Amino acid sequence: MTSITSSKTRGKTRDIGELKAIARELRRQVIRLVAPTGQGYVQQGLGAADLFATLYFAELHLDPADPIWEGRDRFLLSTAHNTAVFYAALAARGLIEPSTLKDYCKDGSPLEINASERLGAVIEATCGSLGQGLSVGAGMALADRRHGNDRRTYVMLGDGEMQEGQVWEAAMAIGGWKLDNLCLIIDDNRMQADGDVDTVLAMEPVADKWRAFGWNVIAADGNDIPAVLAALDAARACRGRPSCIIARTLVGKGAPSLEGIFGHNMKLPAEAAERALAELAEEISQ
Amino acid sequence: MSGTSERLAVRDFTVRGVNGPVPKLYGEALLRAAHQDERIVCLGADLTPATEIDLFRDTLPERFFNLGIAEANMIGVAGGMARSGDIPFLHSFSVFVSRRCYDQVAMQIAYPRLNVKIVGFLPGLTTILGVSHQAIDDIALMRSLPNMTVIEPSGPEQMAGAVEAALAHDGPVYLRMARATAALPDDFSSRPLVRGKVEVIRSGKDGLLLATGNMVAAAVEAAAILSREGIETMVANVATIKPLDPEIAILAKSCGTVVTAENHSIIGGLGSAVAELLLEAGVSVGFGRIGVRDTFAEGGSTPYLRDKYGLNADDIVAMFHHVRRR
Repeated sequence: MTSITSSKTRGKTRDIGELKAIARELRRQVIRLVAPTGQGYVQQGLGAADLFATLYFAELHLDPADPIWEGRDRFLLSTAHNTAVFYAALAARGLIEPSTLKDYCKDGSPLEINASERLGAVIEATCGSLGQGLSVGAGMALADRRHGNDRRTYVMLGDGEMQEGQVWEAAMAIGGWKLDNLCLIIDDNRMQADGDVDTVLAMEPVADKWRAFGWNVIAADGNDIPAVLAALDAARACRGRPSCIIARTLVGKGAPSLEGIFGHNMKLPAEAAERALAELAEEISQ
Repeated sequence: MSGTSERLAVRDFTVRGVNGPVPKLYGEALLRAAHQDERIVCLGADLTPATEIDLFRDTLPERFFNLGIAEANMIGVAGGMARSGDIPFLHSFSVFVSRRCYDQVAMQIAYPRLNVKIVGFLPGLTTILGVSHQAIDDIALMRSLPNMTVIEPSGPEQMAGAVEAALAHDGPVYLRMARATAALPDDFSSRPLVRGKVEVIRSGKDGLLLATGNMVAAAVEAAAILSREGIETMVANVATIKPLDPEIAILAKSCGTVVTAENHSIIGGLGSAVAELLLEAGVSVGFGRIGVRDTFAEGGSTPYLRDKYGLNADDIVAMFHHVRRR
């Protein structure tokens, strides 16, 4: 089997202002997607928008003209319910048809609330059952190393998801195999279905856990795009160890009326949606 | 090193009734296939000799991956490798690749219809290791997953055929395998296995015995006993439990009485699958199931367990008479 070389340019832009504008637009899209039906995850989407903007516009090797280009970097959203921001990013980057967003969570639409492969190969694996994405990413990174492919694998986990035992099976395997072509991003928003992760099950010290499993751990403010860029650069530069970026994010980020409100399945009434959109528009004008 | 010049030879106490070297028919078949197809990779979970993949490990180490005692992760890793163009064969005991990581199998192999072969050993009551290691519901679990093929060879003679049949199918396959426990007879020869086809081993018009795995030999023995009583039964090896051969309905109609036999719970396995097929095909016949009768078992030798849980030829004969008398 011949190895696959990523010949395309990594990312589209590293301009901070441009990436911030993209993140703001992703946030507005999250509100627009969720508000009409009340289905979808608002707070998590707003919190992770800077991560998605940076990954899809600055980091990942991909080709919008050929979304399933074999040399593309793999991105797996293990917290597969965070689709409002995920689909918004795919559409903004041209990997899915933007007009399909109007069908989000509607009956018959492949844009399901938990991302599934019905949407096509841009969904690299169906991960709604938490704890599984890192193992699949491990298999991809392992195969790439064996075949000499230079593409990279990125996996995003939620912090609550680390309570799943399989995550640590994968952590041990990836650390043991020293898969430096894999980068894990923990969306550390401190929220899970039952509330604050620390009140559900104390998990600290998280960074020490990953270090103990042989990982290069990078802590970053997940809502600070320059910091996220620097963390991804550091992960890519690290040889001989997989990297884990613990990206601290704020739920509801960008809309002051929603920031910091813990609501896993939070409904977004029309009035609140309008206010959030206005706040996000104000931020643009500033 | 210790000072002792003679060290105790390491032997495996879990293997019983061995007279001479145990043939590694599965391991050899997988290695043959891997030599011909470089996409094949071999995954294990700390049961390398017990699943006969030591041959693969020693011959093709660059394509062998030991994931340690972590089956759920192994399933996901296999999915990731299959998505990258490899054909993973993954190995553990049947209980651990089915019941223990069922959700992972469902989501990361069956749903995406990936070309992964899940190979489980120690089917049913074939182990002294007890209830934790006895797979009595693996057929039921795997059979109810969409896209999954379920294959159980009749014995050593179909081990190679099972590997070939699994490879010939582009999609997920569960192979339910029992290692040979004794040296092979001089006249040993392999028999092919065709996915989705029953194999009629003995003809007869007075009844139909449908068996899978190590119950095929018991069914053949039962047919011989019945023959001495003047009853000629057809015996068919159902090596593919899913997809089930619809031909079974035609055979059943011509034979009247049907008894199924499996080294598995009577719930959800071969017997259930045949009952569903016959009823939906409108075939009304006398019908009985031989298998583990909705109970957990215990650790013990295979002959002891087969006696205690009713998995012998005599049990098939008794069930046949019971069904015919009704």
